[in-house]
Amino acid sequence: MLKWIVISQSLLLFGTGLVFPFYIIFLSEVGGNFSEFGIAYGIFTISSALVHHWVGRRSDKVGRKSFLLINTWGSALIYLTFPIITSIGQVYIIQVLLGILGAMQKTSEKAIVADFTDGESRGKKIGSYHFWVSLFSGFAVIVGGFLIDLLTVDIIFYFGSIILFVSGWFILFINESRDVN
Amino acid sequence: MNWLKQNYNLKLISLLAIVVYGAAFALSIYINQTEDKLLIHDVSRLFPDRVYEIVEGEEEAALVEAVKAAKENNLKISIGGARHSQGGHAFYQDSVFLDMSNYNKILKLDEKEKTIKVQSGVTWEQIQDYINPHGLAIKVMQSSNVFTVGGSLSSNVHGRDPQYGPLIETVKSFRLLKADGNVINVSRNENEELFELVIGGYGLFGVILDVTLELTDNEIYVSQTEKINYKDYPEYIIKQIANNDDVGLHFARLAATPDDLLNDMYMTTYRTIDKGDDRYPTNEDDYEELVELNEEQNVLRDKFFFGLSRKYDWAKNLVWDLQQKLYAEKEEGEVVSRNNAMRPPIEFLEYDSDKDTDILQEYFIPVDHFEEFVDGLRKIVKEDDLNLMNVTVRYTPKHNEGYLTYAKEDTLALVLLFNHELSDEGIAHMKLSTQKIVNQALELNGRYYLTYQLFPSQDQIRKAYPKIESFFKRKLEYDPNERFMNNFYERYAK
Repeated sequence: MLKWIVISQSLLLFGTGLVFPFYIIFLSEVGGNFSEFGIAYGIFTISSALVHHWVGRRSDKVGRKSFLLINTWGSALIYLTFPIITSIGQVYIIQVLLGILGAMQKTSEKAIVADFTDGESRGKKIGSYHFWVSLFSGFAVIVGGFLIDLLTVDIIFYFGSIILFVSGWFILFINESRDVN
Repeated sequence: MNWLKQNYNLKLISLLAIVVYGAAFALSIYINQTEDKLLIHDVSRLFPDRVYEIVEGEEEAALVEAVKAAKENNLKISIGGARHSQGGHAFYQDSVFLDMSNYNKILKLDEKEKTIKVQSGVTWEQIQDYINPHGLAIKVMQSSNVFTVGGSLSSNVHGRDPQYGPLIETVKSFRLLKADGNVINVSRNENEELFELVIGGYGLFGVILDVTLELTDNEIYVSQTEKINYKDYPEYIIKQIANNDDVGLHFARLAATPDDLLNDMYMTTYRTIDKGDDRYPTNEDDYEELVELNEEQNVLRDKFFFGLSRKYDWAKNLVWDLQQKLYAEKEEGEVVSRNNAMRPPIEFLEYDSDKDTDILQEYFIPVDHFEEFVDGLRKIVKEDDLNLMNVTVRYTPKHNEGYLTYAKEDTLALVLLFNHELSDEGIAHMKLSTQKIVNQALELNGRYYLTYQLFPSQDQIRKAYPKIESFFKRKLEYDPNERFMNNFYERYAK
């Protein structure tokens, strides 16, 4: 039953796809120069690296679902801070938080997809899973560009946040126990 | 049992999520809407400043109160209207900012004398709306009607009517709220020194309260657009436009396209037609339709094309060609009222990228030196790789009134619209190029317009406006505590 995972993660990627490419442009503007931009992006990846181990271990015990949910709703909240950011210091803090949440999503997503697939047809299912998820993400980037041109950058942050918040509900439908059986 | 418990948890989580998210969303929107209110900037969004407090005075008493309170608390005061000056003339850090845009009542129209008395926050558009039914029109205003009267007076603007010099020429009187909290009348007969200091004084002598302006008739014009070699333009101006009573409005455009940079030139002239003319509306209905005020159309279309030409050279060429085709179609001549001719579109120019900005500059060049200036400007634009987007030319006849007048002789005024990056490097580059253009103007006995960026050097401003030193001295005499303060004064007076 990959259904709810596909739906929730597609929607998630739609929300992040809407925001992320433009968030990077936005960052380079708040940062002002490339070194600060580099630091901001590095912080994101490093903070991510530091929690991957822990997330993996914990998710084996308490399940992947809660981590996916924390990432989705957590990101939805963080997106709300983008429009009101004023300094590079605030960007660094947000990058740390996003890095931690990103690690929760990446590790749990891979693990849960693995949980729900097995043996022979695993590759096929993962291929199909990525098809849908990438498709949504691609459309989101295009839509995001148009939205910014027509409206303002702030709009996509709010719009992306709402989509993320909604996608969280679909995570609630994922029934992990079925797989354990 | 288990299912029930799970269902209960789900509901609890859902409820909690909605409450927390809803609150965070509302908070974000709230902060987003309110946070930067005290951060004041002009339309170019260069060099914003955070002010101490914003006072939106609808009543005179509130403005007097604000000035007195600022005096008691030893705070500076800055004054803003539409905020289209681009050198921080309208604001100052940690000052009490008087936002005049709500002080906007039309007080009295005298149809017989053809004068109107308005509060200084009134925009030209409001005046046009008000006087159009009375068959009257504004004598002098900018090319667009979005500006406030107070701001226009403070920067002593000029317009497209070649009969008139700067705005000061059409001002009868005004009342001024001084730094000590007193209100005085100012005209050519009363407090006459302040008349010339305040108009074109960038808000440094007090708050302009209400203004009486001269009006003229809402004449019917027929427009004509022709191509001209820019080298022949000065002669054309002197012979065909200056002192020619039937010319109502006149302006020209120089190409900002890479192919014909500052070479191609088109000019548009509006000539008065009288009732006898066969193009004059024959019946009442046609006349009513003609004088009805136009609203701006095709904003999105124009914005799109303008956006393209901001980015791409090919689009610059395309837009210029399209424009000329449109003008050529109108060669037969469009019949239009003065009021409608004086409200050309501007909304499509609104631009708010975080990365770059559109800025204006203006240079007043003695008519005889026009060709030399254009040639020099072309060289600078090419060498410095400037993104020049639009150049308009208007004729400003000599007018001596005004302490910092820019029209000491008959001049051609070139308005340049540049797009440049908002980064530190982008600004530094534009500053350097601006100083080169200013030098070019100074060498030819010309001047630059003070209303725009503070890029010119101390030396340059003193050369362009030899009276600036005594202007600053007078400021200190009238306002010894420097209550009225702005970035322009701080940059050049200290």
